[in-house]
Amino acid sequence: MNELTHGFRIEAEKCHGCMACMRACPTRAIRVKKGRASVIPQLCIDCGSCLAACSTGAIAAATVGFAELDKFKYKVAVVTPALYTQFPLKHAPAQVNRALRELGFDAVWEYAVDIELIDLAIRKYVKNWSGPFPLISNSCPVVVRLVQVAYPTLVNQLIRVDAPRETAARELKRRYSKKLGLEPSEIAAVYIAPCQAKTISILQPAEGGGSSLDGSVGISEIYNDLLSILRRGPAEDDPAGNGNGSSEWFHWGAPEGEFPSLSQEHYLPLLGLSDIIKVFNDIEKGKIRNIDFLECHACQGACIGGNLTVENLYVARTRNLRLISGLSLPSQAMGDEIARRLSEEDFSLRAPILPRNVEGRDIDLRDRVARKKRADAMMKTLPGLNCGLCGAPSCRNHAEDVSLDRAETVECVFLSRDRIDVLRTIYKKTARGD
Amino acid sequence: MTGAELLRETFEIQGRDFDKAGEISSEIKVTLLDLGIPAESIRRSVVIAFEAEMNVVMYADKGTLTFVLTEEEVKLDICDEGPGIADLELAFQEGFTTASDEMRELGFGFGMGLPNMEKNADDLRVETEVGKGTSVYARIRLNTHG
Repeated sequence: MNELTHGFRIEAEKCHGCMACMRACPTRAIRVKKGRASVIPQLCIDCGSCLAACSTGAIAAATVGFAELDKFKYKVAVVTPALYTQFPLKHAPAQVNRALRELGFDAVWEYAVDIELIDLAIRKYVKNWSGPFPLISNSCPVVVRLVQVAYPTLVNQLIRVDAPRETAARELKRRYSKKLGLEPSEIAAVYIAPCQAKTISILQPAEGGGSSLDGSVGISEIYNDLLSILRRGPAEDDPAGNGNGSSEWFHWGAPEGEFPSLSQEHYLPLLGLSDIIKVFNDIEKGKIRNIDFLECHACQGACIGGNLTVENLYVARTRNLRLISGLSLPSQAMGDEIARRLSEEDFSLRAPILPRNVEGRDIDLRDRVARKKRADAMMKTLPGLNCGLCGAPSCRNHAEDVSLDRAETVECVFLSRDRIDVLRTIYKKTARGD
Repeated sequence: MTGAELLRETFEIQGRDFDKAGEISSEIKVTLLDLGIPAESIRRSVVIAFEAEMNVVMYADKGTLTFVLTEEEVKLDICDEGPGIADLELAFQEGFTTASDEMRELGFGFGMGLPNMEKNADDLRVETEVGKGTSVYARIRLNTHG
């Protein structure tokens, strides 16, 4: 298996071993050994819960810096609609786009057309689907990875339609290479991302195919620069660049916005990983019926609440509603463009999405059963307190770690008396008085 | 020939307990997932376990679900002391149900239980006697259907 790329790194020297990340992780991918956090790569789904929980700054998002983009001759920003909700409404989307160009982008791509196209492609896919329902949206990379790791039985129900950011990147390269006489490889499509998970979907798409985007820049990375440009007021010549700033593109990225045209009765919008997990559990049991499509966003508030956003979620959501209410009717030009691309393009994913190979599932079934029995037997010797002092989030995880030779039995403070002294030494060095 | 028995567990099912219904199939799912069983075999096993569990919860006072894993298949044996099924052929027709309005209000009893089990099992046998109870024996092969 290829080594997995993840959207963040843990700086060991900054880590205090407080276990906040370990407790926050929904897939139990984090262990804290000897006062330092580390991640089990196959279990990590890049949700960013650990990032949000870390108070010491030891866990930081990895995105693509501006310097790495300099090798391209022409840089186009593909903007998540969530960006416009981060600034006071007096800074209209067209002005935010102008600020992006001032910051160093040559153009800003409005992807209202891409969103509409994907909406149509999803509707068609749902209509023609003959397999088990419900289908699950794949636009949130965390949801895709959650399915691969924890719900392998549902991988076939992930909808195999590209995300609009990907079709946008393909189209803008076609467009600008023709217009400017450049090779597509000389043009950078840079996603202005609300979360680090989108970066991962660019560096390492879950389906194993390639991404048409060349990198991403987190909203929080450029927020201050954009704000200071915006505060200077509009430039004297403000032609609103290549976009008309008509804000035709706010549906996607908003809660309950991905698939507005599907029958509401057969469509469930889900926000937040814990709710998604509850619903997925019910689906696996066959308990959820008569639902065609699940729109899933790992973050509360969908992309507007991504971990690289800056503004308070509720303030941003209110602005999003204001922006949507000001939407103009789609222009004739937009309608023509949708019709043209709908007839010319294929919006399906380039490769299938497969379950992720999780550690220890590759050995002989007999050995796997023996290992499980070992873990079950060990569970009986553990207190069931889930204190985390062994370095695993729960007693069950510790028992499994031991059965996988990833941990030692004696790391449990209840089973080994001197273990608490070991921990005392470790935490005396790192503990802070706050 | 079904290979050596690797794992066996029996669960008690409490009739009329809609609140807890589905917990046994959840537990079976977690076990199969932990053991790295192919996804499609898990999916089919869990659907059958859930449907069977629901039938016991809906119609019987109590029952048991026995889960057995061999090297080649998952076996699910569900036995209850319920009212039994008067017309088995009819019960296998999609949409046929004897569920009460109350059950349907809860989202159950749409007459898909047995047809759904049949669809997902490689082998399904039902023994029933009115007034005595019903037993369902399901077999799901590993490594089949992708």
